[in-house]
Amino acid sequence: MADLRVTLCGVELKNPVIPASGTFGFGREYNEIYDISALGAVATKGLTLAPRLGNPVPRIAESRGVILNAVGLQNPGVERFIEDDLDWLRAKTKVIANVAGSTLGDYAAICKRLNGLVDFLELNISCPNVKCGGMAFGVRPESIEEVTRISKENCPDTPLIVKLSPNVESIAENARAAERGGADCVSLVNTFTGMAVDIERRRPVLANNTGGVSGAGIKPIAVRMVYEAARAVKIPVIGMGGIECAEDAVEFLMAGATAVQVGTRNFTDSLACPKIVAGLDAWCDAHGVKEVSSLTGTLKMN
Amino acid sequence: MREITAVVLENKRIAEETYCLTFACGEEIPVRAGQFCMVGVKGFPLRRPIAVCKAEGERITVCYRLKGAGTHVLSETYKMGDALSVLLPLGNGFALSEQEKRVAVVGGGAGVFPLIAAIRQYAPEKELFAYMGFRNRAAVCMEYEMRRGEKLVLCTDDGSAGYRGTAVQALMEDWEAVKPSAVIACGPTPMLRALKSATGGKNVPVYVSLEERMGCGMGACLVCVCKKSDGQHARVCKDGPVFEIGEVEL
Repeated sequence: MADLRVTLCGVELKNPVIPASGTFGFGREYNEIYDISALGAVATKGLTLAPRLGNPVPRIAESRGVILNAVGLQNPGVERFIEDDLDWLRAKTKVIANVAGSTLGDYAAICKRLNGLVDFLELNISCPNVKCGGMAFGVRPESIEEVTRISKENCPDTPLIVKLSPNVESIAENARAAERGGADCVSLVNTFTGMAVDIERRRPVLANNTGGVSGAGIKPIAVRMVYEAARAVKIPVIGMGGIECAEDAVEFLMAGATAVQVGTRNFTDSLACPKIVAGLDAWCDAHGVKEVSSLTGTLKMN
Repeated sequence: MREITAVVLENKRIAEETYCLTFACGEEIPVRAGQFCMVGVKGFPLRRPIAVCKAEGERITVCYRLKGAGTHVLSETYKMGDALSVLLPLGNGFALSEQEKRVAVVGGGAGVFPLIAAIRQYAPEKELFAYMGFRNRAAVCMEYEMRRGEKLVLCTDDGSAGYRGTAVQALMEDWEAVKPSAVIACGPTPMLRALKSATGGKNVPVYVSLEERMGCGMGACLVCVCKKSDGQHARVCKDGPVFEIGEVEL
């Protein structure tokens, strides 16, 4: 039995495996399959101040080794989350509230509302599927720094994770911008903007035309970006992008991540997260690793 | 709701572009008519939502039409004894009340399969009148399962078997004779739209099972929504797939 605990911004997680925002709701559905207190934390569905209906359907498409989604931040709004789900979820495991906005004021307000109520805030400045806001803040280093600073000013008591978009010029530059703005941690990668075409109809499959690409096919790009970001900053990094098994998670940890998020794989196997937790334990045992946290950033470059 | 590795018992072609897949769950899993399962296909990240057609003890049968790459691979590569990743049972299913005794069952295309589950479940206690639409004779299958009720009208677009026309047309021609107290339906959206407008003034509840591209299948990812009449979104996988026809925009 390896020690799977990791410490992220001073908060101890029982293991480094976290279901990624948008694939896991607020955890209630998956909890019907297994007790989600087995997870290190849960990243919630992206929350906004007011409820959002999201995009028209189809919202999902598939390509080889990847999926595309364009849900468009449908969510019941932060107040409903606080009222209906927060206490239940906090009793299960650590809560990462993923938050999004259309304006700087939105980000400030939602961070203020959740300050002290959740274990972490994860700033979604990288959603490719909404017209205003979302990724608009997540592309240029200057705007990343600004939205991070305003958000952090409003959540002094809660560690702030900034979720970075991969659709950018320099991931290292953007990670540094988040750190300068006061981020306590960065998570990456969000989805890559892509398109799938229905050639019979000569139309994109997604009603939104474009969507976020995720799944096993993006993993090598994600690992490279996590490596570059982790090298560029002193704050911890949460790695994600195509993780399907414990060995995939180990790649991200070695590349510099302290914890990992698992998204698309939950759709292929609803038990993916607890299997990865068990698999990490087995991998560590088989390799004489006593503490999973000792793997972080141990990659030796050729 | 269970995540299981089932064992394929049979996966055979039963009509044009239509396959019937039976798997063993290892234990009895109760399934209501109208519920569905998510079936994994090796090499594809998304599982396929497929309605349950028969649930007999630990054996579940689903039928599917060849549509895209996933269903082709499912039909070609899965043989008896193979492991199959399945999440089930999912969705609300049909829930007819005791007062709803005379029930018209209206199906089109792959929509007939969840209705076969409904016929099997409700035939002992209700009078069922089935109107089942297929493209042509070559697409007709499982006729014996549809005959468990009071009446079956097979419909084909080209008249090559049974009534020439749609299942909705056949139902409406029969309406006064049958006087149903409820309608259950599943089929392509144009069929459901026709049913909605045809039954609009009848003051009879119409329960439709919807289809949508899905992600998780259990209500977490908010991919498969439909628009409700009140402007809100409902999750087809979790709040549905069965809705009263007036509740949803088609």
